[in-house]
Amino acid sequence: MALGGTIRGKKTSLRMPVEADLEAHQRWAADMRLRHADGVWHEPAMPATWKERLSEAAKDKQQVLWSIESADALVGFARARLWSMGQGVGLDHLVIDPDRWRSGLGYDAAFALHRYFFDYLDVLRCATDVRADNVAALRIAERLGYAEYARGHDAHYRNGAYVDQVLLFMDKTTWQERWSGEREYEPLPAESFR
Amino acid sequence: MLGPRIEGRNGVALVPPTLDAAKKNARAMLEPEVGRFWGPRFGDFSDEALEKRFKDNAEGQDGILWHIDYAGEVVGFTGIFDINWIDRDGESGIFIGRHDLFGKGIASEAIRLRTQYAWTELRLHRVHNWIGLGNRGSRRANEKAGYVQMGLYPRSWYRSGEWYDEWLGEAFPNTFPAKG
Repeated sequence: MALGGTIRGKKTSLRMPVEADLEAHQRWAADMRLRHADGVWHEPAMPATWKERLSEAAKDKQQVLWSIESADALVGFARARLWSMGQGVGLDHLVIDPDRWRSGLGYDAAFALHRYFFDYLDVLRCATDVRADNVAALRIAERLGYAEYARGHDAHYRNGAYVDQVLLFMDKTTWQERWSGEREYEPLPAESFR
Repeated sequence: MLGPRIEGRNGVALVPPTLDAAKKNARAMLEPEVGRFWGPRFGDFSDEALEKRFKDNAEGQDGILWHIDYAGEVVGFTGIFDINWIDRDGESGIFIGRHDLFGKGIASEAIRLRTQYAWTELRLHRVHNWIGLGNRGSRRANEKAGYVQMGLYPRSWYRSGEWYDEWLGEAFPNTFPAKG
């Protein structure tokens, strides 16, 4: 369960991470644009350490890691945590390579991933948190249907100052009201069930 | 990290945890009388697992754990966990494993000691927590130490046939009561 299988969006695909992706993780962990926008999954490290991290991720029963591709190139990663008893999912990271920001990849991957959470895993809710000055992430969350339920004041420190943390959630009803026409599979014809 | 001994008022002290008391606290979590706002009342509570957890807690550098001593007996635990040393922020928690001791102010005193330690010894900037909205005693105990509501998470836990919302609180050095 801990390395995610393929989830297809329109511009992106989430797929199982492989060792060849780790060089990009090292680059992203060291990129100050990303570090200001979001926390890092892990700090920069030697290649052997990244291999150990991937191995640990594969064994973890509660957390799922995906790599994100677009046009056959690695463009980011996502990591989610399944809550006990499978009632919900916490989206810990959805990271797009800063060189590819503002091209719609983040929204496309986020949409496909949430469709998987609600329409495939049948979770009751998703939760995430973003830094209050990460306008792009907030816009994606709002478009998907997330609502703010709490605000942690001065919760994260970067670039010489604190920034607030916005805590967001979306329940299954909201997802279905907004996106029930956007299923992964076409409905089966009635004769399929006879 | 295991926290140092801190003497409090009314017979309450925070003390460095021991393995035997940790096992007692862990098994108290399996009792329904103290589990309304705790859970999920299953898991690996074998001696081997508890010994590993104790060792991990002692060696970890991103959390601090105390046992709560009341009148010479360990009755629960408290701590600050997942400390981010850059943000200087951590998540606090408390568990009282004796239902017959609820309402005696033990949690209030333990939280006061823990919160004061966060500001004066750990030099944290912020501490936050999640508490069942219906757990009024715990909320009040945290509010007395300077925690203020930052939000409500709807339908967070399912217990006894109904959903409970969760109260999210945060505290800062300047919200700690001046009289301590």
